[in-house]
Amino acid sequence: MSAPAPQLAAVDRELGDAAPLPRDNGELVFEEQWQGRALGMGVVALERAGASWAEFRSHLAAAIAARPAAEHESAATAYYACWLDALESLLSEHGLL
Amino acid sequence: MSDEHGHHHDEHGHHHPRPASAVELRARALEALLAERGLVSTDAIDAVVELYEHDVGPQNGARVVARAWVDEAYRRRLLTDATAAIAELGFGGAEGENMVVVANAPAVHNMIVCTLCSCYPWPVLGLPPNWYKSAPYRARAVSEPRSVLAEFGVSLADGVEVRVWDSSAEIRYLVLPLRPAGTDGWSEAELAAIVTRDCMIGTALPAVPAGVR
Repeated sequence: MSAPAPQLAAVDRELGDAAPLPRDNGELVFEEQWQGRALGMGVVALERAGASWAEFRSHLAAAIAARPAAEHESAATAYYACWLDALESLLSEHGLL
Repeated sequence: MSDEHGHHHDEHGHHHPRPASAVELRARALEALLAERGLVSTDAIDAVVELYEHDVGPQNGARVVARAWVDEAYRRRLLTDATAAIAELGFGGAEGENMVVVANAPAVHNMIVCTLCSCYPWPVLGLPPNWYKSAPYRARAVSEPRSVLAEFGVSLADGVEVRVWDSSAEIRYLVLPLRPAGTDGWSEAELAAIVTRDCMIGTALPAVPAGVR
């Protein structure tokens, strides 16, 4: 079995102020189930891939910068879409995708 | 900030009448691919989602209070610029940018409320309790704070002034309780252990557990 998942506070620290998880007065916002699963998938895959949060953070920042704002899209949808982009590009870089 | 917290889990386990969006399909496809490569498993993802959805956050505030009790210089910084002093201990971030700490004194008791909605210093206190968000608390904390305190089991001497602080999106308050008698020589960690969430909202006073000297 792998190491236990990092505490949410640790994930918050790693993501820093640049790309914080979407929240509403402290509670994580998952408008749809896939958003929560995207977060969980990132946490698990990073750890199993042996990738660092610093790497992921830079991929996430790049994905956010590269993604044009779409109309009729909520902040959480946009954020987790970028999250998927970042996860894919990081894992590709590691030769895992 | 919002008036009420939406429930974000409503769609779990129910039928999806609408078709999955493109991004949702992409998320599912990625998960299937990563599962095939052994990088994730459904169970591991479920465990993380479960953990984070129910994470009420560490009560970082207790460490702030304990530090202020043992370190007079820190206490002064905390009361002058709470945001910076709290950041010294590594806490802060979104919705914790403008913190104000109000100190209890022998003749002053502070409590916090958000009359408008449920603004709360969650980076230091975790998620608010349900009663904090309730309409009766929000109204009565202002109109009859002593009755509310009595219901929480806090009885104050007649001479003690009660100050109620209305948190907002701009300023979030935290109560610095008085260090209870009988805690001389305690370590910071021991002190932090008796500082409950409610002590820092002002609806409880730190208590030394019976049997501990």
